[in-house]
Amino acid sequence: MSGTTLPVALRLGRADRATAVRSFLRRNPRMIVGGALVLAWLFIFVFARAIAPYDPIKVDVANALLPPSSAHFLGTDDLGRDVFSRVLVGSQVSLRVGLISVAIGFLFGVSLGLAAGYLGGTFDLLAMRGVDALLAFPALVLAIAITAALGPKIENAMIAIGIVAIPAYARLTRGQVLAVRAREFIVAARTIGASPLRIILWHIFPNVVNSLIVQATLSTAFAILAEAALSFLGLGPQPPDPSWGQDINYSQRYLPNLKWWMSVGPGLAIFSAVFAFNFLGDALRDALDPRLRRSG
Amino acid sequence: MRSARFVLVALATFGILLAACAGGQQPSGGGSAAPSAAKTNYGGTVTFALENDVSNLDPMLSGLFVDRNIHYAMYDSLVRVTPKGEIIPWLAEKWETSSDGKTVTFHLRQGVKYHDGTPFDADSVKWNIDRYIQTKGSLRTADLGSVDNVQVVDPATVKFNLKSAFAPLLGALVDRAGMMVSKKVVDAAGADFTLKPFKAGTGPFVLTEAVKNDHYTLEKNPDWWGKDANGNKLPYLDKLIVRPILDADVALTNVRTGNAQIVNRINGKDVAAVKADSTLSYQEVGSFSWNSLVPNEAPGFIFSEHRYVKAVAMAIDRDEILQKGPAAGIGLVGWGPISPAHFAYDASFKPWPKADPDGAKKLVAEVGKGPLKFELLVPSGDAGVLQAAQLIQSELAKADITMDLKTQLFNDIVTLQQQHKHSGMTFVGWSGRLDPDGNTYDFVVTNSPNNDSSYTNKQVDDLMKQQRAESDPAKRKTLLLQAQQIYTVDDPSRVWYGFGVSPLVTVKSLVGMESYPDRIPRFQTASLQK
Amino acid sequence: MIRYILRRLVLMIPVALLVTIGVFVLVRISPGDPALVFAGEERDPAALAAIREQMGLDKPLPVQYVVWVTKLAQGDLGRSFQTHQRVLEAITERIPATAELGLAALLFSVSVALVVGIVSAIKRNSLVDLLSTSVTLAGVSFPSFFLGIVLILLFAYVIPGRIFPPGGYIPLTQDVGDNLRRLVLPAVTLATASLAVNLRQVRSSLLDVFGHEYMRTARAKGLRERTVITRHALKNALIPVVTLIGIQIGAIIEGAFITETIFFWPGIGRLAVTAIPSQDYPVVQGVVLVSAFSYMLTTLAVDVLYAWLDPRISYETATA
Repeated sequence: MSGTTLPVALRLGRADRATAVRSFLRRNPRMIVGGALVLAWLFIFVFARAIAPYDPIKVDVANALLPPSSAHFLGTDDLGRDVFSRVLVGSQVSLRVGLISVAIGFLFGVSLGLAAGYLGGTFDLLAMRGVDALLAFPALVLAIAITAALGPKIENAMIAIGIVAIPAYARLTRGQVLAVRAREFIVAARTIGASPLRIILWHIFPNVVNSLIVQATLSTAFAILAEAALSFLGLGPQPPDPSWGQDINYSQRYLPNLKWWMSVGPGLAIFSAVFAFNFLGDALRDALDPRLRRSG
Repeated sequence: MRSARFVLVALATFGILLAACAGGQQPSGGGSAAPSAAKTNYGGTVTFALENDVSNLDPMLSGLFVDRNIHYAMYDSLVRVTPKGEIIPWLAEKWETSSDGKTVTFHLRQGVKYHDGTPFDADSVKWNIDRYIQTKGSLRTADLGSVDNVQVVDPATVKFNLKSAFAPLLGALVDRAGMMVSKKVVDAAGADFTLKPFKAGTGPFVLTEAVKNDHYTLEKNPDWWGKDANGNKLPYLDKLIVRPILDADVALTNVRTGNAQIVNRINGKDVAAVKADSTLSYQEVGSFSWNSLVPNEAPGFIFSEHRYVKAVAMAIDRDEILQKGPAAGIGLVGWGPISPAHFAYDASFKPWPKADPDGAKKLVAEVGKGPLKFELLVPSGDAGVLQAAQLIQSELAKADITMDLKTQLFNDIVTLQQQHKHSGMTFVGWSGRLDPDGNTYDFVVTNSPNNDSSYTNKQVDDLMKQQRAESDPAKRKTLLLQAQQIYTVDDPSRVWYGFGVSPLVTVKSLVGMESYPDRIPRFQTASLQK
Repeated sequence: MIRYILRRLVLMIPVALLVTIGVFVLVRISPGDPALVFAGEERDPAALAAIREQMGLDKPLPVQYVVWVTKLAQGDLGRSFQTHQRVLEAITERIPATAELGLAALLFSVSVALVVGIVSAIKRNSLVDLLSTSVTLAGVSFPSFFLGIVLILLFAYVIPGRIFPPGGYIPLTQDVGDNLRRLVLPAVTLATASLAVNLRQVRSSLLDVFGHEYMRTARAKGLRERTVITRHALKNALIPVVTLIGIQIGAIIEGAFITETIFFWPGIGRLAVTAIPSQDYPVVQGVVLVSAFSYMLTTLAVDVLYAWLDPRISYETATA
């Protein structure tokens, strides 16, 4: 084992801490890439309207379908709107849906999985039947149906995508809990009379958190993509408000005409945002997993 | 030119035979673009990229435009039309309308057999029309609503007795209401007839395979009655494969890559490139279809104030929608539902030649209830529709009219509209009908099935009823145009803003095809050049 | 073991009932009237009423549900509103196409993930590792509808020779070569979405397993590295991979909805995609039900495998 890890580093003095963080980052190049991208997107997310050079919904047909130039970094769409400005402002929809829906799925899915795996018995049986029923629907179709039922609004899209993400977390968590539950340290904790909640939170949860990080980063990706699909069906934000998914779907018909910039702009945005979360998650996992440290 | 065509239509409506039957070497079976003898090639397979899957191959139960693209190849109707909209003999070789307009007698083509071998005759016509009228759930009841009964005079003659004179009847018999199917096949197929009506028609092609969502195979009917200008038997092609491809761009890509040879729709943005492509040929003709914004004028809704409808009609920039919208200049601007392809079209009818946002502002101020703000329901999933809606949104903003967009499934919109439940306007067009009555009556006459805007105007009702009973085309035109002035300008029922075109894109080697205003390709005269 | 499987099968009945209710309610929430879709532009009120009666839509919803479930119990999925085709027939004639696409995608995705995943786990933090994970991540970050269209355009306009047609399906029995050529683009599109998930899981499970005591014990015993990986690490690492494959059956069915639509693949996904907007309830209900049942059966198979791979999980605790 060489070098110090981040959580340990936080307990050191300031100078030492800086060195430790530097060394930690040096050993985890992915963290820098992913972290930087995530931070960049979060920055855009917050300041989008201030940075955007044009009004993203201003129609100007005289300047329609312009290729990228210094005036319009990503060109203009068929209604003469600045694609770059739409991409920036669109981040507010995509990232918000991604983060909130993943939080919903994570919270409910993990609680359900932990409880089912740890408690077992009837609760497990019932909970997993519910999850099975939920999983039995194709996720996207379920999300569409729920959003359609609740009404085409961005908040409803978040709820729908969140609900759809629950089974994956629940099953993954439960599977890991079952694997961990039989291990010595849990049995030991139980024999010394630790409360179930304590055992779940302090002993079991940390053991399943790694797989969950993997899942969470990927379901952020799914959420952003699902938002795109919902938007396409008119179940996301309503036009003319920008949204990456909607904008790709709106302009992909110009691809055969080789007017690529309209879809490539939001496409790259989805791409880099999903990429950012994946890289960060990956790097975090490698860095923080205690067992990996041992063998590192 | 306009009046020449008008006279032709008028003649056809009276059942006087046209040039089609006059000469010895005239083609039967439609089409004037028959290839010259030297170029005539028999054989070959053509794949047609259809815009959606067919919903129903039974003409009685078909409600969607897409179905007719296959119907026309496999079934014959009593009469058909030329690309110019003139009614021509088909299964009926000639017909007469009585002077009071209450009976129409058809003289049938002799020796025609259905694909299953059963003969086509007067009994068969009576059975078909009775089936369309009497079957519960038939969708042809409105087309044939004027028919009281059908009488077999002799095996080659049938008489349609009408409840009252109904000028648009012949136009309806061109399409599904006039399509003839074999009783034997209907009886044998039972519920499967709707999707697999094999050998049911008399048409130039025989349906032999139907795999829903994938493809439909139609093979040449070697016994078809049609002949080209040189007396050669039609059709030329051996096989026709119809493949549903939903996305217009993907369909075009398929034609470009040789996976299909013909497509009958195209996005405006692609027209220039297709015209320039030496491997493709492009043709278009003005269609019967119109575009509109449909207000809900029922009491209690914003647009029960008809001046608001007029304000919207004044504020939009029709030319900009056509040129800068999804049509990219392919089509025509319009102010009403009667299209240039109709005999009753009035080219001088331009109530607002230019967008008039100031006039719209004045009108809204005159109502005196503050600024106009409403919601437009837009069918989801179609980028072109979204483009048009956002363009109109920006135009209305110039007249201080706020239009919010809300996308919804097309069928949900149609349902809300039918129930008169939508709060503002919807964005729904019409595929168009051969007779102008089919483009107007049902949309503006009180309590008519397609009167989704809940429009009611006594004068319009009277004029529209009069034109139905009027057999003189010139007088009919006057009545139709008088009504149009009222329901578009004086007391508007909805906002019409343009007409579509019927495009036809084929590979260069596929010849002998023409674009029709109804957009349905006719394959009986098509051939592949080797 | 057999008792366990039987019990699981019995347990599927309540889930199935739950699913039927869920399907029924969700499908019918939207305000659209299926009779209007059927009638298209024809709006004769008498005809519309007759159509609603024929479709059974004039009865109250609970009655409609009971009628549907009763017929279902007799193996009758009803007939399509649109075409009157038997829903069961519509589904069975499409299963071969969907199964072929799904299996090809799964095979592609899992085999690539295993090979690349093992390499990147062993050579952790190497350039190979970074590159392979980055490339697959890039793949998964691409929206699949976008990827499909880009692939079609690439092979239609950019890459000469038109090696892979832009879509369409030729049955395997008709022309094996043509069938496979047409399979490539849709299978790659469908597989790309799950590839990165699989790869990450293989890699992280292996890394996870590498850290366990028994690995070090095995190494300490002087076993060759290769034996350590194949015998010990891989078997244990397969557990989460098996779970994920189970989850992915659902993802693949769902991905098939989009992929089949883009590539005009005549599978059950496309059947549903066209039935949803036209509110063809019997078809939508039928497709969702059939995919639900296939999913439930796969889950059972996965759980059995799971128990077999990890002896620590007994059948008793693994009741779900």
